[in-house]
Amino acid sequence: MNKSLGRQLKKYRIFYLMFLPVAVYFIIFTYYPFLRGLIMSFQENRLLGNRPFAGLANYRFVLKDSNFLAAVANSLIIGLWDMVLYFFFSLGFALILNELVHRTVKQTIQTIAYIPYLFSWAVIGGVWVLIFDLQGLVNQFLSIFGTEPIFFLATPDYARPLIIAMGVWRSMGYFALLFTVAIMNIEGQLYEAARIDGASRFMQIRKIILPSLIPTMKTIIVLLSIGVLTHFDEIYVMVNPANRRLISTLLLFVYETGILNFQTGTASAGATLVMAGTLLITGLMRKFIGYDKE
Amino acid sequence: MKSRLSKKDNLPLGLSALNILLLVLVVVLMGLPMLNVLAVSLSTQAKSDAPGLVLLPTPPTFEGYTFIWKHTNLPRPFFNTVYVSVVGTVLHVLMASLAGYILCQNKLPFRKAMTTFILLTMTVPYELTMIGIYAVNRDLGLTNTYAGLIINGMVSGFSVFLMRNYFQAIPLSLAESARIDGSGEWRIFSSIYLRLSVSGLMTIGTLELIRRWNNITMTITLISDMKKWTLPVVLRFILFDQTSTSGTSYIFANAKMAAVVMTALPLVVLYFFTQSFFSSGIMIGSVKE
Repeated sequence: MNKSLGRQLKKYRIFYLMFLPVAVYFIIFTYYPFLRGLIMSFQENRLLGNRPFAGLANYRFVLKDSNFLAAVANSLIIGLWDMVLYFFFSLGFALILNELVHRTVKQTIQTIAYIPYLFSWAVIGGVWVLIFDLQGLVNQFLSIFGTEPIFFLATPDYARPLIIAMGVWRSMGYFALLFTVAIMNIEGQLYEAARIDGASRFMQIRKIILPSLIPTMKTIIVLLSIGVLTHFDEIYVMVNPANRRLISTLLLFVYETGILNFQTGTASAGATLVMAGTLLITGLMRKFIGYDKE
Repeated sequence: MKSRLSKKDNLPLGLSALNILLLVLVVVLMGLPMLNVLAVSLSTQAKSDAPGLVLLPTPPTFEGYTFIWKHTNLPRPFFNTVYVSVVGTVLHVLMASLAGYILCQNKLPFRKAMTTFILLTMTVPYELTMIGIYAVNRDLGLTNTYAGLIINGMVSGFSVFLMRNYFQAIPLSLAESARIDGSGEWRIFSSIYLRLSVSGLMTIGTLELIRRWNNITMTITLISDMKKWTLPVVLRFILFDQTSTSGTSYIFANAKMAAVVMTALPLVVLYFFTQSFFSSGIMIGSVKE
């Protein structure tokens, strides 16, 4: 057996050789940084030289740090709202879009909704700056009802809703596309059978389309739950002194503490807690929706 | 894509009207802001800062574009982004298809272990390891270099599995007969597998190009030298942090929006050329592993 394995390995040598660059890449740039971060979270804040181990000191520090705790709250609020709204808006949009009969119109609307997902968060930030400006689109619209112009981007009350809406605006079209692809794959005979049974279109949506979408819904929920605590780019783009307290998330804390202020131990401890939190949220969601059952 | 919609039942009139109303609302909410940005970018300086909604620039002018291009030294980040994105994407597609090809050799010993090895890299989003990534890159001398931006993200589990799924659709007999004819594995890989998976290569290539063009996290983690920044990071400074963009005192809205359009437009163009690949990529990508 061993001899034959040896022969096998020799025969397939070329494949292992071809795999080498990929393996080396993942070890150096994915596995090792992960471990490195984990180790640093138990070491003193030092980027150069040797780093004495500090036990759980970083974790204790982070868990008492008011900035970190505020970031936990912000991340949960922004992340969970985004998750729920991404899901229902994209599902709703895919469903109403599917009722359109005209194919070209349908595809055009789908494209318009998808385009923002192609853009960097900095571009979306630019759109937001323009439309929520004092003289921008939104204030122009509100002025029809006699509302005084509001400086949305500098008013704390609007900080979180604006960030959440930004995400929905960018991502709805993408997730809707996932639903649309799944709707297109539903067997035509199912509708046929329902029609013979005299089911109205509304009933068909409820009894055929929605149940057929359950696997897609589950996949999307798992995808979204991985992202709950990882909001970063949009925060980095939009954060300013007026909204910082309300929207600075965990990853912004990690970035500012570790990369900008070189407190690598503190930042790594924070990042490790975020990983644990993500694992917990994803695990709970998977269990809740029965993702691993089939 | 089989359901032809002609035979479909319709909603009752009331619901149907509501449905259309909602869709109009979606189009307005999504389209109007984009139109607004485009129109302002093509307006004159004075017009773009005056009150009133601009949806049609009269007459259109490129003065915002010329201003931002010259006065904030935008060519530099623009070509940084093109360089890093294009080179990075070519390498990414090569590496991912190589790994995908290996993972579909179903008699290869340890194939399961290799698959798991790659699958595991997808469990932790890379943003969560940014401190470790920074430390490792600094030790390797890759911080503040274009090489650092190109190498990080040179392959991803997502792309590997997408390519593997494409390759699995190619009959094994093709490779077998080529082997009997004495072709080496490199030849089989490049002249059979790559050639038959052009749409797969286009899919991961397009997705990777978009990802790299838009990337903020990796750039600000690895690069502190402003000269090496990419477009999105510079755009953020133009929009929010005017004092730090090369001493220009005030950037008018038309110039800001011109920068937005210049960052966004290449991707829209790319999207319309590669649109057909997108849905297939999304379908295969969303299959449960």
